[in-house]
Amino acid sequence: MNQKANRWFFLWRHLNKLRWVVLSLVFTMLVALPFVYVYQTYVAAHAYDLLAPDEKRLYDLVETLTAPLTDDPAEDLDAIKGNTWSGTFWGLQLTDPLAVVGQMAAALEVWWPLVLTALIPVLLTVLFGRFYCGWICPATFLYELNTNLAVWLRRLGLRTGRRRFDRRIKYLVLGLGLVLSAATGAVLVAAIYPPAIIGREIFYAVALGGFGAGSVFFVITLLFDLLVARRGFCRYLCPGGALYSLLGRYRLLRIQRIVENCNDCAKCNAVCEFGLDPLRDGFGQECNNCTACMAVCPTEAMTFRIRFRDQPDQGPGHLGRLYRKQQGGGREAA
Amino acid sequence: MSRRRFLQRTLAAIALGGGATIPYGLARLLAPTPAEPAPPWQRLRPPGALKDDAAFVAACIGCGLCGEVCPPRCIRFHGRDGGDQANTPYIDPEIKGCILCGKCMAVCPTEALTERPREKVDMGIAQIDRTACYPWVDRGICGACVGICPLGERAIRFRMWNQYQPVVQPGCVGCGLCVEVCPHPSLPIRIVARSEGTVMKHRV
Repeated sequence: MNQKANRWFFLWRHLNKLRWVVLSLVFTMLVALPFVYVYQTYVAAHAYDLLAPDEKRLYDLVETLTAPLTDDPAEDLDAIKGNTWSGTFWGLQLTDPLAVVGQMAAALEVWWPLVLTALIPVLLTVLFGRFYCGWICPATFLYELNTNLAVWLRRLGLRTGRRRFDRRIKYLVLGLGLVLSAATGAVLVAAIYPPAIIGREIFYAVALGGFGAGSVFFVITLLFDLLVARRGFCRYLCPGGALYSLLGRYRLLRIQRIVENCNDCAKCNAVCEFGLDPLRDGFGQECNNCTACMAVCPTEAMTFRIRFRDQPDQGPGHLGRLYRKQQGGGREAA
Repeated sequence: MSRRRFLQRTLAAIALGGGATIPYGLARLLAPTPAEPAPPWQRLRPPGALKDDAAFVAACIGCGLCGEVCPPRCIRFHGRDGGDQANTPYIDPEIKGCILCGKCMAVCPTEALTERPREKVDMGIAQIDRTACYPWVDRGICGACVGICPLGERAIRFRMWNQYQPVVQPGCVGCGLCVEVCPHPSLPIRIVARSEGTVMKHRV
């Protein structure tokens, strides 16, 4: 029984916690930025004395938080604006690749300044695969909480959805969305892409006086995930996920299984949000490097490797019963 | 299906249905009484917008950045009623006019809004109904539109020989601040397409 050394596993098993920190930060930012914006409008209007009491509370709170950082909030707090669909960070504009592709389809021409803003996300996706879906997407934050809710409901004895569909449906949704965008001349994929919807709707709700139509769509996707298929929208329908999967097909950084350490416990398959098959090396282009399978692995059998391809199926794990049976031995042979 | 299972399912359905109404309740809670939206033909695109509205809708990705930097909060967004214009920005000058600060043009990642100096902005041109405007029908003195105009004399000024009757000039870019402040309930000043303005047609 010689385990293969997995030297950095003690770090990688905690990456899932880091991922939750990142997801929470991004979501907190999306909620906080509209409030900062509202505060900026109050500052720009020099209207403190005209504010209602609750508006004054908001003003005082944001002023207390940002006063150490700036003495000109109306201008300086513009440094971070926007959401994950498109945003600016100290002048660096970043745009979701799906926005660029959708706009190209709608306008039937290429606007290079916009394409350049998607360059960094595309490069990162080519290197790290569909990492956006696991590490940044504000919808993932809510969808994973939704998955946890489903677990709680199941503990109460309620049945939640566990259907499975064909994962290739989302490529169809992507293609159809782009074709319809070209046909109607409007960026339709923006209306069915949850992270774009969330960024927008939070802003509408906080600054413009109410949720819009997109929140209804998002609640429907949440119910779909809860009642029909676990994480169903991301797995089977999301057009952005489809685009990221295609871009990350030949990604450089991959999670791979060390067959010598694996004991076939299948916790990785149970925890995988995207319904992949880490237990039998079935990662594929849709793995988003979320490291949840690493976090649950009890035998340090998951590791990062720099490869362009997944390993072929390595068969049962060497610490498992199935492998011992195949080797022709019983319990005593091990 | 056993009775127990049936009860569980019914309860789950009720709980989920109730949960689904939470966003609606939040929306109602967060929303102040909404102002009556202007009909589409009175909605202006933000400054620097592409002139062809179909091209504008095709270029806009609906990220909301223009609204998120707008200091007077005048940029609003089409909702479900907008059809294929959903999530594209507009300005309703009856609620809030544009102050021509140019932040939206600077921040827009697409070609929907492109940067230009405030004199070159073309959102339309103001049009005064002289049969309703208070000074023009001798119902008192006002001058609110002239006072608020960010472009001054080249956009709107008082008529010669009369202190208070406003006259639109060709330099008006249609920001809509005058519509916002106009005290007359029927809003005798409106923003129309530039080619439709009386100033541009007849040079008066």
